[in-house]
Amino acid sequence: MGEQLIISVGREFGSGGHVIAGALAERFGLPLYDHNLLDEIAEGKNVDGQSLKMYDEKHKNRLFSRKVRGHSTSMEDHVADMQFEFLQKLAGEGKSFVIVGRCAETKLRKYPGLVSIFVLGDEKCKIQRVMERYHLAEDAAKQKMKMADWNRKRYHNYHCAGKWGDSRNYDFSINSSRLGIEKTVDFLEEYIRERQAMVTGQPG
Amino acid sequence: MVAQIVAVTIFIVMFALIISEKIERHVASLGCGLLMLILVFGVCMHSGSAVLNTLNVGSIFTPGFWYSAGETSESPAGINWETIFFITGMMVMVEGMGRAGFFRWLCLCIARLVKYKAVRIFITFMMMSFVLAMFIDSITVILFLAAVTVELARLLQFNPVPVILAEVFCANLGGSATMCGDPPNIIIGTSLGYTFSDFVTNTGLIALICLVFVIIYFYICFRRELGSGQTDVQVSSLNPGDAIENKKDFTISCMIFAVTVVLLVTHAQTGLTVSTIGTVIGIVTLITAGRDAVVLLKKVDYKTLVFFIGLFVVVGGLEQTGILEVIAGFIADISEGNAMLMIAIVLWISAVASAFVDNIPFAATMIPIIKSLAASQGVALPVLAWTLAIGTDIGGSATPIGASANVVGISVAAKNGHMIGWGRYCRYMAPATILVVLISMVCIYLRYF
Repeated sequence: MGEQLIISVGREFGSGGHVIAGALAERFGLPLYDHNLLDEIAEGKNVDGQSLKMYDEKHKNRLFSRKVRGHSTSMEDHVADMQFEFLQKLAGEGKSFVIVGRCAETKLRKYPGLVSIFVLGDEKCKIQRVMERYHLAEDAAKQKMKMADWNRKRYHNYHCAGKWGDSRNYDFSINSSRLGIEKTVDFLEEYIRERQAMVTGQPG
Repeated sequence: MVAQIVAVTIFIVMFALIISEKIERHVASLGCGLLMLILVFGVCMHSGSAVLNTLNVGSIFTPGFWYSAGETSESPAGINWETIFFITGMMVMVEGMGRAGFFRWLCLCIARLVKYKAVRIFITFMMMSFVLAMFIDSITVILFLAAVTVELARLLQFNPVPVILAEVFCANLGGSATMCGDPPNIIIGTSLGYTFSDFVTNTGLIALICLVFVIIYFYICFRRELGSGQTDVQVSSLNPGDAIENKKDFTISCMIFAVTVVLLVTHAQTGLTVSTIGTVIGIVTLITAGRDAVVLLKKVDYKTLVFFIGLFVVVGGLEQTGILEVIAGFIADISEGNAMLMIAIVLWISAVASAFVDNIPFAATMIPIIKSLAASQGVALPVLAWTLAIGTDIGGSATPIGASANVVGISVAAKNGHMIGWGRYCRYMAPATILVVLISMVCIYLRYF
């Protein structure tokens, strides 16, 4: 693992994956990248970040897009490629960070400093979180959750060979409903420190 | 009847595969072409001669393929090898020009000539896009033009999106002006035996009239968005001379391009067919490239050539089974023999279809249909041919997926952070397309009726 540490966190909607990623970033003193990645990309290109965020983590519509000699009309593809390139650049420069989603577990696989995590959850717990966070009724929360997961799955499976949420693609898949968010973070922190210790030979 | 059903099914499957992008379009067309040969000609028709006619390899070894002695003739059904040879040669030449820095040099020269003023760049780049696309494939034109536009926009601080959209539209319009401007025109010209000057004096004239309206239209749409740009910035990084990678290569590629234009413009007089011109310029480019010849050959878009071959076989299958005559009969019935209505139908169907599907297979399919219409209804075939060319070439501008130039322009902009979604694209380009198709229809009616 060396000195570089990249923590990629894939997540089911409502599982608390984003909160877990944030907590891990804080505990390891690393920057957290999610949709804010596009702000940095936009700044570099001298354009408005909002125009890129419209297409963030969305899958392209095959019927309404076309490819010609490697060029595509799909804005979703372009935004995804920009993020993948940006992540590769950061990782290539040896930087450490926490990244939420964006196929990072596959795109950054070649870096030995990568720890890839997928956070899932029990349906009831996830719905409860979504209801509280977005102030929705149960049915609406369930619908929102299903739609978001469907989108993430399509986005991921379009850009990667491995399937979204398939435990074989990640170092660690964990159900946040079992221990709760806080203890899940503790558990993951311990795991990551153990991984670091194995590589550096220092106690975790 | 069974052969017709199988042929139509294969054709629909090919179109669906192309649209879905599940597999690459050249694989789809070649696979469906093979199916057409085996199932339709072999199993259903038991016709070895239909297979040979469609493969059409013998045509390459006829004198008429290389030299037409001042007279042009219609190509037989099946693979249009004349188109394949010509496009291959042009691809090699354009690759050589790109490597030498020709396109970037030209763009920067014009930008300097207009003193780096945003509105002037906007108008001159539209005209340049139109003129270049008359001779060079629109993908290459937009690839270079859009890249330089983004670069200029960054330096001069104007929004590049309006300029790129206008360039894309003008590239598609310029492509309609000549026989070699857009693949449908090459297929129409070689299939029906028309010359370069036939196109220039017919579709070219209409395209030129439309260009005037298009420039006015886009100027009105985008004048506020463009503003005046900032011209007091350092433009020393935009020296046209720096674009030239190698002066010798640059001079040679300019000369080859000039000779190509002359050969194309005069091919009706010299008797040289477009296949000869394509072959000669391709070989000359490779010889003059020296060691780089292998690199140029590797850059040729073989997938597009294979796509064309498969496509010609599939359309040849439709033609041999007589299904296209049925469609022609249907159009004739709707129009009740009214030539003006027939023209309107061909023009608008071509334009609308090309806005959503690849215009190359559409044009290839429509050629036998307009031939049949001309024979059965007495409508002048050239008029139908010009109508088809304009409809397919211009219709493609209406949506982001309608033409290759649109895809490349949108992609170059997006890679630089300027997102052009369907809404933003269609808001300006769809009305422009409707406007130009309407003007073209009026021009056709006034000139030919």
